[in-house]
Amino acid sequence: MNKKVILLVEDNPDDEELALLAFKKGQVANEVIVARDGVEALDYLCGTGPYAGRDLTQLPQMMLLDLKLPRVDGLEVLRRVRADARLRRLPVVILTSSREEEDLMRGYDLGANSYVRKPVDFTQFVDAVRQLQMYWLVLNEAPPV
Amino acid sequence: MKAFARSIIETVRHPLLILDREFRIVAANGPFYHTFDTTPVDGEGRSLFDLDNHRWDSPPLRAALDGVVGRGGTVEDLEIAREVPRLGLRILAVNARQVQRDDDDVPMLFLGVEDVTERRRAADELQALNVELERRVAERTAELVATNRELAASNRELEAFCYSVSHDLRAPLRAVDGFSQELADTCADRLDEQARHYLRRVRNGVQRMGQLIDDLLKLSRVSRTELTRERVDLSALAAAVAAECRQREPGRSVTFVVQPGLVADCDPRLVRVVLDNLIGNAWKFTAKAPAARIEFGQSATSPPTFYVRDDGAGFDMAYQTKLFGAFQRLHTDRDFPGTGIGLATVQRIVRKHGGEVWAEGAVGRGATFSFTLSTPKAPS
Repeated sequence: MNKKVILLVEDNPDDEELALLAFKKGQVANEVIVARDGVEALDYLCGTGPYAGRDLTQLPQMMLLDLKLPRVDGLEVLRRVRADARLRRLPVVILTSSREEEDLMRGYDLGANSYVRKPVDFTQFVDAVRQLQMYWLVLNEAPPV
Repeated sequence: MKAFARSIIETVRHPLLILDREFRIVAANGPFYHTFDTTPVDGEGRSLFDLDNHRWDSPPLRAALDGVVGRGGTVEDLEIAREVPRLGLRILAVNARQVQRDDDDVPMLFLGVEDVTERRRAADELQALNVELERRVAERTAELVATNRELAASNRELEAFCYSVSHDLRAPLRAVDGFSQELADTCADRLDEQARHYLRRVRNGVQRMGQLIDDLLKLSRVSRTELTRERVDLSALAAAVAAECRQREPGRSVTFVVQPGLVADCDPRLVRVVLDNLIGNAWKFTAKAPAARIEFGQSATSPPTFYVRDDGAGFDMAYQTKLFGAFQRLHTDRDFPGTGIGLATVQRIVRKHGGEVWAEGAVGRGATFSFTLSTPKAPS
């Protein structure tokens, strides 16, 4: 059986490393694909650009999506995912520093499954990643392909 | 006919004339002869256009009068400007129509002249005033639009700034915290107690910075939130805040006294922040006492004045004015942790409501924070 991947969309290398560290601490066995901006994320999801030819029947188990991204921002990525028949059921967790109401509302309006604010405290961050993993990779029934 | 016509026109105060179809005067009333310096002897039988130094002989009047007799036309308020003896340049309104006593009678021209100079001047002035008024309204509207645009622009800037603060300033903090903890974990065997102490200090600094950023964001959010007033049960709100304090630190012995039935027309979310801060402060500054008492009540009715009183650490009244400035702190972080932004936020919210907030206290004898949530009524 194919191991489902986690798509981490994160432009900040520190946050990327910390997230990977947190996954390791949480003993997440899934492969983590890192997209460093919205275009890369959409390339992966749609099998375009460097990901041309990827087997598109395999949706990631979840996408962790930062909001502030170069080129195409997180909300736009979310909007395009929800507008795409092949991708619309993908579990999307917004993982961001922002707690601006505007971002929360727009995130949910565009169909985010969850919104998690990155805590400054690394212990809390590890804990948050652990809980996300527990919920979305173990407890939650993924949409059928 | 002539006598009949004369008897009618003599009853009117405006100059009136009856002309035959060659515009010769059949009859004119006293006011006509008087106003235009003519006599019946000079006037009757002569053409109107020959009278008074030909001053009546203007193309528009001729054209208008030509269309009346035998042609079915009328002249309605035709305004002509001309010299009038003793009065100078006047605006005259001319009205004319055909009159005929019987079908077989000769049709004649009935003509009325009215001096409308004053009316016209008043109308012109009114018109000018209207134009001026419209110009000023347009000017002020333009100013307002410009000011609005500026405000919207600076608001957008503020939004962008807050967004950056919220997003960008936290990221490096997360890195400092994460990697210093990782260092403590992965290099535990190579670090001595001193090194671990420094790492703890680094992480404490990060936590404090994170708290500062969050508090600053709350403060700025207050400025950006639009005030929506509704009837709010302040007693219930205060009780809820008190319950949360207890839940956070169930071990403490604090008596809360909340006066029941207090309501105010205010923004519930913003006033929640006020009570969070004032009751939270009271909770914090009574932490060193084995038992404490915190009250919420109303101390005056006009304008309604509410207070939060505690019997905690208090403060020196000499620093009273400094209490509400951002980052102002009267205690060390070792004694009572905090960022010094809470009361600045409280003040901003209270002022947004048109109210005031002030504090009374003494070192070691507690503090009372009072606030109003409306503009005091002007003395009538």
